[in-house]
Amino acid sequence: MSGETSRSPAAASRVTSLVRRTALAVRGALGRRDGSAVFALTTVGYLAVYLSGIGFLNANDGETAFVVVSDPLARATELMAPYQYEPIALLAAGPVELLFSPVNTLLGLGLGALVGANLAVSWVAYRSPAACGLGSTASAAAGVPALLSGFACCGPTLLIVLGLQATAGLVAAFQWLVPLSVALLVATLLWVGNRVDPAGHSQ
Amino acid sequence: MQQSRRQFLAAAAASSAAALSGCLEGPGTGGAVTTSGVETVDGPTPPAADNDLHIPYEFAELRSNVVSGGVPKDGIPSIDDPQFKDADDAEIPGGDPVFGVVRDGEAKAYPQDVLVHHEIVNDELAGDAVAVTYCPLTGTVQGFERGDVEFGVSGRLLNANLVMYDRSTDSRWPQMLATAIDGPLEGQTLREFRLVWTTWGSWRRAHPDTQLLTSGTDYLRDYDDDPYGSYNPQRGYYASDDYLFEPLAEDDRDTAKSVVLGARTGEEAVAFDKSVLLNERVLECEGTSTPFVAVADRSLATGFVYENPDERDVTSADDGYRVDGEVHEPDDLPLDRVLAWDAMWFAWAGYYPDTAYVG
Repeated sequence: MSGETSRSPAAASRVTSLVRRTALAVRGALGRRDGSAVFALTTVGYLAVYLSGIGFLNANDGETAFVVVSDPLARATELMAPYQYEPIALLAAGPVELLFSPVNTLLGLGLGALVGANLAVSWVAYRSPAACGLGSTASAAAGVPALLSGFACCGPTLLIVLGLQATAGLVAAFQWLVPLSVALLVATLLWVGNRVDPAGHSQ
Repeated sequence: MQQSRRQFLAAAAASSAAALSGCLEGPGTGGAVTTSGVETVDGPTPPAADNDLHIPYEFAELRSNVVSGGVPKDGIPSIDDPQFKDADDAEIPGGDPVFGVVRDGEAKAYPQDVLVHHEIVNDELAGDAVAVTYCPLTGTVQGFERGDVEFGVSGRLLNANLVMYDRSTDSRWPQMLATAIDGPLEGQTLREFRLVWTTWGSWRRAHPDTQLLTSGTDYLRDYDDDPYGSYNPQRGYYASDDYLFEPLAEDDRDTAKSVVLGARTGEEAVAFDKSVLLNERVLECEGTSTPFVAVADRSLATGFVYENPDERDVTSADDGYRVDGEVHEPDDLPLDRVLAWDAMWFAWAGYYPDTAYVG
């Protein structure tokens, strides 16, 4: 009994330490020009790929338009598919057409920020000689979980492309890919963040 | 050019009809409705057909094979306030598929590229409340009388086929079976009507005064993009032999995505390969308890199926089909016509593994 009660504070302390070190690593990476550039480019790039993957960002044929649905507040929370919400507005200009859904945009930004933080920390660690124990392979692997959410957004289309037959299990699995991606991205961020020397970032 | 994307935003704020053989009840417009084998329910119900259709499965077995299609209920939103325009104002390519119907002189066409995003249109046709339904995975378009009830997309699939629900009782209706397999109306069969799967160019030539469903819905979609592929030209899921969802049964008498003209009565089902029918013009099926004959209508690239119990001689002629020495239009032979519609072979054979097949 006494052993169990003493393990809980120790575990909590380790988690706190893990999060603190990771936060320091992220702050350190974003404090550098190259780190913040990697973060910003990855976040925006991921958002664009995500919205394109779910069919909300498309090529435009040159027409200009701005349309809002009749009840945007109610529509914004209507679910089209797991973690995919109805668009409330269309913006078309130049080469781009955007079906705007606030929830999808926030979701894409959140996932993009997680991928961006992973890659920014990995990039800075890779570029900094003082950083310890983080090879280029590990750096690249840090962004892999993000691909899972890409699978989630494309759903049946992806099955057609891959020529796969859907099963009840596979369809059910698609519904878990976004939360799984978030969990894996957080896990890799904690893993990467704890293998770099925060002091090294400033060098 | 494809139908303009802008057109579907404009309202952002906003045949040959062939009745199924047999007598039909009127719509249930409220109160308790009792049909043979169907629970008594309160509230409106869709009109029921008197005659059941051949279904070679127990409902319990069918229910156990219903799977998630990966979208929630109404995640694919039906069109409940359809907007139409005149044919002269339409800008869709002549080769694009549309689903056409004529009732009491009123002709309407529903473009496939709009329906692929909505699957159900709760509409009115010559004053009658109807549901025009389309399942992209099985390539089936079917019309139903709906009375005071709207239909929606349940998000579930059976045999890769759309499972509809009615917004009165939430009973579940697999589209191709036209019969509720779950819910208070389990066992009830809907009144069906024919829609012709053809091209916009052919339909417009046959019915210059037709109305065309626009993409002006209150939902924003990229109507230029069919998530499953394309029919014009044919590619993606529609051109592949791969399934997306496993059928109830497999049958190699034809290739999976071959289009058949399928018909079923209360006793049996029959399927005619559509491309063979269009080529041969007349196909006969004598291996069933009632002989059937199918004739092609090349002007619309479709066909019609008739019961031919007396095995009368039907032959093609220059301007129609000769029956007992007289020439008739393909949709007007002096025989009992059976409701028939296009379907991908794998889906037809999945629901009707005992089907007769002519190809």
